[in-house]
Amino acid sequence: MSTAMNFSSKSFRPRAPDKGSFPLDHFGECKAFKEKFMKCLKDNSYDNSMCRLQSKDYLECRMDNQLMAKEPLEKLGFKDLMDKPSQENKEAKP
Amino acid sequence: MLLPILVRESLCCSKNSVLLISSNIQTCIRGLQGKGARGLHSYAQWFLCRRVPSRLNTQIRGAKSRKSQTKQEDEWRKKNKTVLTYITAAGVGMIGMSYAAVPLYRLYCQASGLGGTAVAGHDAEQVETMTPVMDRIIKITFNADTHASMQWNFRPQQSEIYVVPGETALAFYRAKNPTDKPVIGISTYNVVPFEAGQYFNKIQCFCFEEQRLNPKEEVDMPVFFYIDPEFDEDPRMARVDTITLSYTFFEAKEGQKLPLPGYSPISLHS
Repeated sequence: MSTAMNFSSKSFRPRAPDKGSFPLDHFGECKAFKEKFMKCLKDNSYDNSMCRLQSKDYLECRMDNQLMAKEPLEKLGFKDLMDKPSQENKEAKP
Repeated sequence: MLLPILVRESLCCSKNSVLLISSNIQTCIRGLQGKGARGLHSYAQWFLCRRVPSRLNTQIRGAKSRKSQTKQEDEWRKKNKTVLTYITAAGVGMIGMSYAAVPLYRLYCQASGLGGTAVAGHDAEQVETMTPVMDRIIKITFNADTHASMQWNFRPQQSEIYVVPGETALAFYRAKNPTDKPVIGISTYNVVPFEAGQYFNKIQCFCFEEQRLNPKEEVDMPVFFYIDPEFDEDPRMARVDTITLSYTFFEAKEGQKLPLPGYSPISLHS
């Protein structure tokens, strides 16, 4: 961490994460989703905005496998992605 | 015969001498009138009597100077008392201020966000309501370190990622335990530049808690974070385009607990 001892410079203070720590995925249950996400990142030159759907899928997998506390996805910042699945469903139906 | 006495009196030069001279003259005249026949004897008596007024003279002078002395002393004493009360009041005030400074400084730090302490307003509702600032793209680079005695292979799975403030992002690290024994690791992180650290909010990660890896096990460790949309409005951050997130893993002994950073008690398991 920061070792600067001078008074004027602001030192970095690590903060605990808001929702705590991820339990480790020892059995690789969500590895497939992670691979999809990483592939998407590589294809889109590591632009996060393009791969938000995959990250949402990964987090949903974690929640399903008891590797993450269940939270409504809006609270995780996926509010804009919530409309898309319903739209996709509507498109897929007809 | 009276003349040298009078001259001596006048030489003494005190205000009382005038009175004394007149009183001497009066006693002298009385003496001469009463006992004119005695002559020399009366003079001797008169000389003896003369000593008393001189003693009276010094007594009167001493009384007056003692009076003025005590008056001055009283004044000094009063002045000393007021000065002393002022000094003790200032001392007590200083001690009180040093006790009050601790909670006051904490409040000030929370309000202004100096030193990277938890800024008031970092709550879960902000994640829901924030809107991404699409025109400000920031590159996040990842760095992974281990302590010298820690034998894990710890590295990021992507070297960089492009995010915008207000958008949640996911990043992965990979850790492998090449040894034949289970190893418990505990990690901490660092954000460079330091001032950007207060805008870097982690929703969930793998830090500050013991993570146990079995022998020859490899796991993916995600970090779910976002950059506060207020990052775009901070003039100090106007030239910041790259933020580096650096994690360091240490080996933890069984049952060891890292103290949670920050003043406000954040419960790990919400």
